[in-house]
Amino acid sequence: MSSSVRTLRIEISSEPRLLHVLRGVVKYRAKQAGFSDSDADCLAMAISEAASNVIRHTLGNRHDDRFALEVNTYPDRMEFILEDTGPKVQPESIRPRALEDVRPGGLGTYFIKCFVDASSYDESFPNGNRLKLVKYLSPKVADRHESAGPDHG
Amino acid sequence: MKVLVRITDNNTIIDCTGDVDLYSSPQLREKLLESMRGANSRVLVNMSGVSYIDSSGIATLVEGLQLSQKTRTRFGLFGLRSNARSVLELARLNKVFAIFDNEQEALEKISSTEPFSGLA
Repeated sequence: MSSSVRTLRIEISSEPRLLHVLRGVVKYRAKQAGFSDSDADCLAMAISEAASNVIRHTLGNRHDDRFALEVNTYPDRMEFILEDTGPKVQPESIRPRALEDVRPGGLGTYFIKCFVDASSYDESFPNGNRLKLVKYLSPKVADRHESAGPDHG
Repeated sequence: MKVLVRITDNNTIIDCTGDVDLYSSPQLREKLLESMRGANSRVLVNMSGVSYIDSSGIATLVEGLQLSQKTRTRFGLFGLRSNARSVLELARLNKVFAIFDNEQEALEKISSTEPFSGLA
C-alpha cells in the first residue's frame, strides 16, 4: 500500500446503537481529509446507511455479530470499505426505489448514490461481502466499471 | 434520542430530540403510530431537536403520513434543521409533508392545510 495512504480500520458490533460511532469516525476523518462540514455529514450518512443495510439485510438484524469499516484516505479521495460475514449480496438485485413511489423504506440506496462517487462489491472476497464506497475531494466522473447503489433499502 | 409526547387541546405534539436512525427510529415509530390512533385529530412532530435523520427515520415519517390518511388525522412536521430539511428535499418529500417553521405556525396552519394531499 502506498505511503500516501492513511488507513484506519475498525471492527464494530452490529448493534444499531453504535451507528453514531461510525458516523463520528467518518465525519472526523473526512474533515481531516479536507472535506467541508457539509460533505463530511453526507459521507457519514452514506456510510451509516450502508452499515445499516449490513445490519438489517446481510446480517439479518442479528445484533451479536460484527463487521469492519476500513477508511483509506488518499490525496485525492477517500475509500470506505465495509466487510461483513453474511450471505453474498447480489449487486444486480439492489436498486433504489422510484422517488415518486412514496412509501416507507427504499431510500438508503438513493442516499448512498447521492453522496458517493462510486461503489462496488469485491466479488472475490471469500467469506461475506466487501463493499467499497469512494468519494473524491473534487468532482470526478466515477469509473465506468464501478456502479452506485449498494444497499437494499 | 428522546421522544416526548404532549397533548394540547386537539393536538398531539411529539418532541423528538437527537439522532433518528436505525437504532432510534422504532421509538419514534411507536409514539407516532400510537398518536395517530389516538383521539386527537392533529399530530405534529417537533423536529427542532433532531440533529440527524436517516432513511429509517424518513420511512417512519412516511408510515405516519400513510396512517394519517387512514385515520383522517392531520399530520405535520415543524422546526426542521437544515440537514433534516435537505434530506427530505433530496428524497423529494418536502412537498409531500406539511412542513412548518415553528410550533406556533404549525398550530395555526395545520387545520387549514389540505389533509392527506401528499399521497395518491
